[in-house]
Amino acid sequence: MHHMKNNIKVQRAILNLTQQDLAERIGVSRQTINAMEAAKYVPSTVLALKLSKLFGKPVNDIFDLEEGD
Amino acid sequence: MKTSYLFPYRFKLISGVLFAVSLALFVTYYCADKYLDFEYKTQVFAIVGDTGLLGDSDWFGWVENSIVDEILFTIVIASGLIFAFSKEKTEDEMVASIRLNSLVKATIANYVILLFLYLTVYGFSFLTVLNGAMFSQLLIFIVLFRINMYRFNKFASHEE
Repeated sequence: MHHMKNNIKVQRAILNLTQQDLAERIGVSRQTINAMEAAKYVPSTVLALKLSKLFGKPVNDIFDLEEGD
Repeated sequence: MKTSYLFPYRFKLISGVLFAVSLALFVTYYCADKYLDFEYKTQVFAIVGDTGLLGDSDWFGWVENSIVDEILFTIVIASGLIFAFSKEKTEDEMVASIRLNSLVKATIANYVILLFLYLTVYGFSFLTVLNGAMFSQLLIFIVLFRINMYRFNKFASHEE
């Protein structure tokens, strides 16, 4: 099982969005946002790119591999 | 990602109710078979139909048969498939991932149980195992998927 760190929560705070707001903007459920922020779900490339576009940051600035991967 | 092979969400409730009711009736029908004589006999087309245990096999012909269990089983399978493979209220890639995970676990669990029963149940009782095997994988998948979806929704029930 590979793990990734991410700062979705920080990026979301910068844009002043709730989990529900973010969920609606990228077309997933709020639970999925919650699971991603808790690093319990690794999103697909499509979803990662949607987040990247919305946050205006490269994917590498949002997601990072954890040690050992 | 498009997962167009899933049935629409609006079928979820009705198919779930139908599945629960028809499965309960189907199991009751088989369990109570010896005690109550509830049948509706008619002529049915058979690819192969045996007349009794030592009777001859009729190929591609019409045989007389009680169709109560056939009707029940058709409803069990149709409603079960639709309930199991209809979209969730909010369908996204994580739900798809939970569905796949549940399907893998259900398939493995089903065959572990079947293998165990194959090696430990003999004689006519094995017919009961075969009857159960007709819908066991679907049932295990539905139960596992519902449990996993419940945990998924509960885990995120309040925003941090």
